[in-house]
Amino acid sequence: MSLRLQIGRAGAVLALAVSALITTSQAQVRNSGASTITLQAVLSDSLTLSLSGNAVNFTLTPGSANNPGSVGVTATTSWALRPSVGRVRVYAFFASSAAALTDGAGNNIPSADFQISNNAGPFTALTTTVPFGGANAGLLLSSTRIRGNNRSGSHTDLMNFNINLTTLPNLPAATYTGTLTIRAQAI
Amino acid sequence: MNTGKVSRITAIALGLALATTMASAQALNSGAQTIALNATLAESLTLSLSANAVNFTLAAGSAANAGSTNITATTKWVLKPGRTAVGVYAYFANAGAALTDGTNNIPSSAFFISDNAGPSTALNSSVAFGAANGGMQLANVAITGLNKSATRTDLMAFNINLTGGTLPQLPASVYTGTLNIQAQATP
Repeated sequence: MSLRLQIGRAGAVLALAVSALITTSQAQVRNSGASTITLQAVLSDSLTLSLSGNAVNFTLTPGSANNPGSVGVTATTSWALRPSVGRVRVYAFFASSAAALTDGAGNNIPSADFQISNNAGPFTALTTTVPFGGANAGLLLSSTRIRGNNRSGSHTDLMNFNINLTTLPNLPAATYTGTLTIRAQAI
Repeated sequence: MNTGKVSRITAIALGLALATTMASAQALNSGAQTIALNATLAESLTLSLSANAVNFTLAAGSAANAGSTNITATTKWVLKPGRTAVGVYAYFANAGAALTDGTNNIPSSAFFISDNAGPSTALNSSVAFGAANGGMQLANVAITGLNKSATRTDLMAFNINLTGGTLPQLPASVYTGTLNIQAQATP
């Protein structure tokens, strides 16, 4: 083998080696350090109540047991609750049992003569002490037990109203006004 | 770890557990939604009669010419505060001609009413309605807190007295007239 041929072979081998070395060096991955993102998703507990209407009128007949309200009102209660909550209750109440409605001149219609029929149930006077309002001035409309499948849920209460004047036969002619409050509680 | 340190750690742990439990038991309340109530008891005063016709068969010059039937006036009211009295009145439009045949008259002073079996009284007073000296007050009911809504009845028995003045000379004829009964609440 001539010297020239030997030099040529050696050069070829060297070129291949350098090429392989370069290729190997380019294929190696390089990783950065891991940076973390802390995730926090908060589902706050909530309890809301809305009404389909905010006014009811009554045309009274003296001494009559039947003085229905002009319109029914639906209370829609919606909630998203923690696991520790056991019940959602909805209440109707007045601030004063003695003067649920008044003419402002000393003549009153007590809460005992104001009745609500909830979801077509019997008419019931507001004579119970509930978490809100005056003593003996409220009514528990509904109580929903909270289980695993309704921690987020809703409930509707369709209220129809009546004023019973049989115990007030001498109520004078006047316009009697009042405020009925509806409120829910989860506990 | 000494006993005191263990006790402190235990106490802290119990406190945290209690706090957690109390937080879980706290009630969650919805907002209070209100319904405005407006009840109107209108003022009213009505009077109705059990009948609307009375006949008399007259005897010339006689003091006793009773009506063919008695009539009951039923007065019902629902009054505003401030009313103090309800009066019921009987009256004619013309005192000189309570009944007439078109030419000859029987004055209101010859027409008598006995109310609720009381004395027979001529219609010769000036009352809230009708002609001067052509009426009488059947009833005066004081209104108190106990009867702002109430009913009253007046049973009227009628008589025509033909003894006064020129009435003994009253010619044979058919005499007709209209007696009015009306109630008034004051003030």
